[in-house]
Amino acid sequence: MRVVIAEDSALLREGLARILAEGGFDVLAQCVNAEELRDAVRRRKPDVAVVDVRMPPTHTDEGARAAREIRDEYPEVGVLLLSQVVEAAHAFALFSERPEGFGYLLKDRVLEIDDFLEAVGRVGRGGTAIDPEVIAQLLGRPREDDPLADLTPREREVLGLMAEGLSNRGICGRLFLSPKTVEAHVKNIFMKLGLMPAPDDHRRVLAVLAFLRS
Amino acid sequence: MHATYVRVLVVAAGIALGITAYNVQIDSLGANTTSVRAAASVVAAWASLAAGVVIWSRRPGNWLGPLMVATCFALLARQLRYSRDALAFTVFFALGELGYALIAHSALAYPSGRVRERSERRFLAVTYATVIAFPLAILLVHDEGVRLRYFDSYPRASLLLISPQDGLAGFLQDSYTVLAYGALAALLIVLVARRLRRATPRARWVLTPVLVGVVVAALWALYNSVVAFSTGPPGFVAHYTFWWQIAGLIALPVALFFGLIRSRLAHADVGDLVLRLEKTPPGGIRDALAEAVHDPTLEVVFWLPERSEYVDADGRSVELPRDGHDRAVTRLDHDDEPLAALVHDPTLRYEPELIDAAAAAARLALENARLQAEVQAQLAKVKESRARIVAAGDEQRRRIERDLHDGAQQRLVALALELKSAERRLEGGADPDVERLLSSAAEEVQVAVEELRQLAGGIHPGILTQGGLVVALAALASKAPLPVSVDAELHRLEPELEATAYFVAAEGLTNVAKHAHASSASLRACVDKGKLVIEVADDGVGGAAPNGGTGLRGLADRVEAQGGQLRIESPSGGGTRIIGEIPCES
Repeated sequence: MRVVIAEDSALLREGLARILAEGGFDVLAQCVNAEELRDAVRRRKPDVAVVDVRMPPTHTDEGARAAREIRDEYPEVGVLLLSQVVEAAHAFALFSERPEGFGYLLKDRVLEIDDFLEAVGRVGRGGTAIDPEVIAQLLGRPREDDPLADLTPREREVLGLMAEGLSNRGICGRLFLSPKTVEAHVKNIFMKLGLMPAPDDHRRVLAVLAFLRS
Repeated sequence: MHATYVRVLVVAAGIALGITAYNVQIDSLGANTTSVRAAASVVAAWASLAAGVVIWSRRPGNWLGPLMVATCFALLARQLRYSRDALAFTVFFALGELGYALIAHSALAYPSGRVRERSERRFLAVTYATVIAFPLAILLVHDEGVRLRYFDSYPRASLLLISPQDGLAGFLQDSYTVLAYGALAALLIVLVARRLRRATPRARWVLTPVLVGVVVAALWALYNSVVAFSTGPPGFVAHYTFWWQIAGLIALPVALFFGLIRSRLAHADVGDLVLRLEKTPPGGIRDALAEAVHDPTLEVVFWLPERSEYVDADGRSVELPRDGHDRAVTRLDHDDEPLAALVHDPTLRYEPELIDAAAAAARLALENARLQAEVQAQLAKVKESRARIVAAGDEQRRRIERDLHDGAQQRLVALALELKSAERRLEGGADPDVERLLSSAAEEVQVAVEELRQLAGGIHPGILTQGGLVVALAALASKAPLPVSVDAELHRLEPELEATAYFVAAEGLTNVAKHAHASSASLRACVDKGKLVIEVADDGVGGAAPNGGTGLRGLADRVEAQGGQLRIESPSGGGTRIIGEIPCES
């Protein structure tokens, strides 16, 4: 899978490039700012771009803005944003219209190397990778009438992983459950929340998030 | 004393000449005049004398006084030319028309005594030349036996006669009538109208009576120039024309007199001013002064000794205009220290008593107002520095947060990543102790990264920097322990503004959670009429005291430092609303 990296810190940029290369990714370009990133995406058409939200010159949201442009212009290019802070509101602000081929992770998540590589791959294939922190915020949010109240703790856990973008098989791996059990949980969740079961990873996420946002 | 003698002599000469002029008219015009008419023409001349002498003594530096006195003599000369004596006739005929030029001169020189406009100077030069040259030319060719206009049938012998040319004399008289009474009088009306149109409000107020007098006189001249070529008006019209002329000749000196000496009369207004100022707040002094001296453009500025500059009533520093053609400046001192200055219409310069009296009346009030302007100036400075302090604090926090996130945190993540990579490379192929060490080192670094993020977030909310106010408010709402609805549609704003609004919302929600016993709350943020409005509302117990708790006080300080306002509405049992309004650009 072909990937470009945009990260202004040289150390981290090199580190990211190394683990991605070791993880079997083809690192096409390492960019130090949004301008270089746009250029690299235009010329190389990668499967996925791993982008730091804050980059020079203002260190506010250059990366996020570049990501939005790239997604508008090249919908086939996946974008995984690495953020210094993660907030559900920020996540929604960034991908609310189209979660396909989008990821939003706390920067430290790169240290969970296997999960990170998997997330990059998922986004590159048009899937979704949402930081567990975002999901925790969404699930923990107080509501006037909480439809999640009907879910068992285990079902909540499964819902969270679904929202992160994990497939049933991925959830099995995380929770050490059999595929059959996970399937049953998922069915129950969809039923309790009144959602129609859907075949694709990201469509599941779409459904879950649309619900969580409500 | 010398000037006084001169004036006494002038008055005596004027009276004597006036009596002579009366006798000459009665004696030589006979049936063409009456004693009343003769007396009226002399009185009209004396009006100029009286006005001129008073103005001369009150305003010694102003040329208007002497000009008016000269006008009197010229007007009397006009009557003396009717004398049958050849020398008197010749001299006074030559000078007889000078009065009209002097009247035009006085009107255009009012109120400063000088004529500044180039076009007006040229007009006067032409007028003087005309009223001197034509009578002289007529004297050169006037045949004793031929009737001069206005001289009826009495023969007059010119001592300057070169050769009698009846046709030429008649032509000169006609030309003079058309030129002086027609064209020049019309031009004078045009110049006067132009002056009025260009004048400042106060100048217009000062000029109007004088210019009305001039126009009355000029219209008379204009009418005369037309009548001269007709068969002659019916008797009763001629009768009215005479009185029209007299009215014009008297109106002008009267208007000039009252125009320049009005300050005496204006003392009544100044007396009112003293009474009014007792009840006027300091901000109203300017208006009261402006009214008393009839100058709506009047400005009052105050001297601030410690800043060594003039400021306006709000404490903003102002540059005194140059005391010149457009604006005049009257400085007021107190114990040899400047106190204030009045910037006013230049026409007030010619009525020094008026502006002095008004300033004296307002002195105490001005002193108070000066103190107030001083306080305002200090307040403005304090406000500025307060805003700067808050902005500097914010900037510092933002920079620390940024340095932590983009510096230390990045390095630590990179370091942990290297440790992890190393651990993966070794995987099974090395000393298990080394692997364990690497793994625990990586975990330690991860914990450090997490702690660093918490620390940075406490210094300045990173989400505000990264996502802007709307996102940061939504994040606040989602972390609150009760349902919070968010209604915010904004672009990115100045970082200080975003931070202030964010802190208002954060502190507000904290208070809601702690004290309000509310079941839900709402956040609202929008830009309305140049203000960023941030509102935190809940449906709790209300009764929050605006000064209760340092949190709210600190917030109010913050908001006020940026020129805004923080309001708290918290009726007991009716929920609480905290509304911050901060001025912003867009």
